[in-house]
Amino acid sequence: MRAVEEDPLPVDAFERGLIRGRARWIADLTEFFRDYRTDDGTIFSLYARGRTRNSGFLISRFFAWTVLPNYSVALFCVDEEDRIIGLETLRNRIDQITRISKDNELQWAWLIVFSRKNIQPSIASYVSRYDKRELGLAVASTSSKQIVLSNNQIGKSIEKHLRLSKSLGGEETRNV
Amino acid sequence: MTKTQVSVVVSYSMPFVLLSAIVINNLLQAYGLSGTPSRLVFLSTAFPIGFSIGRAIYLRWSHTLIAFDSQSFSVVKGSKEIATGFWRSYRFVSIIIDRYGRPNLRLYKSIDGDHLDLPISRTNVRPQKIRDRVQGFLETEKSQRVSPRAVEAA
Repeated sequence: MRAVEEDPLPVDAFERGLIRGRARWIADLTEFFRDYRTDDGTIFSLYARGRTRNSGFLISRFFAWTVLPNYSVALFCVDEEDRIIGLETLRNRIDQITRISKDNELQWAWLIVFSRKNIQPSIASYVSRYDKRELGLAVASTSSKQIVLSNNQIGKSIEKHLRLSKSLGGEETRNV
Repeated sequence: MTKTQVSVVVSYSMPFVLLSAIVINNLLQAYGLSGTPSRLVFLSTAFPIGFSIGRAIYLRWSHTLIAFDSQSFSVVKGSKEIATGFWRSYRFVSIIIDRYGRPNLRLYKSIDGDHLDLPISRTNVRPQKIRDRVQGFLETEKSQRVSPRAVEAA
């Protein structure tokens, strides 16, 4: 069994929060896959998909139907475990998600990469300068609790709405 | 895997509690006991009577039981088996959140294709734990199916 009760993997803790509706202010993620293998053989530790229009009840449902657009969105997590996050690997992941976004007509997507190693300055610099609005990026070190977010609205929402730092057991996000 | 859904039992029971209380009250009046202090004791029996009837109806109609082993599974709702199958018939498993925010399990034959929902929210299991376990069954089934071909090829 993957999850250990005393020390859950960060992806497990993050997913648990999303299942409980942590993303509800920005998207209604309704389906969660683990170890999801894409057509080209790439495996994502977590793949969640949903829409921007939440279901709600009575007033919130009416509000959602009349005001909110019904875009498809998705979230991808990669757990690099003890491997250092490399720039080339990260770029490949971004390309894969861009391709999946086009194929599935996603309005936007999140990519969150976990690693036990510290985040390299080159990665931190690359992620914090990433500003394409269709993809929100985050890299997180589970040992130092350091999180770096991309410089776009979707990227910032990873901490603001999805509360990534909570899943790492940290108090707050430390941006580089 | 199963769990008594208390809210459903209560919703089935309440009309019978009320009905039993009315019948008991009428009997108390007919036998001239309505003015005695013991009438509260008699009226309170409406609860066990109503809940017994409600629970019997719940068990017959709504109680959900999911039984599985490493090869197969079955879902029994009330007295009817609503789904049964083999893990090997499916390739993917996911947690799906229904419109009431309850997590259930979804089995896919192909991604975005035919699927079957297992109502695990009506049992007492943790969705992530059971999803991971089912994923293990699907992967084991896959590897078992693949290995004979590998032997033939060798």
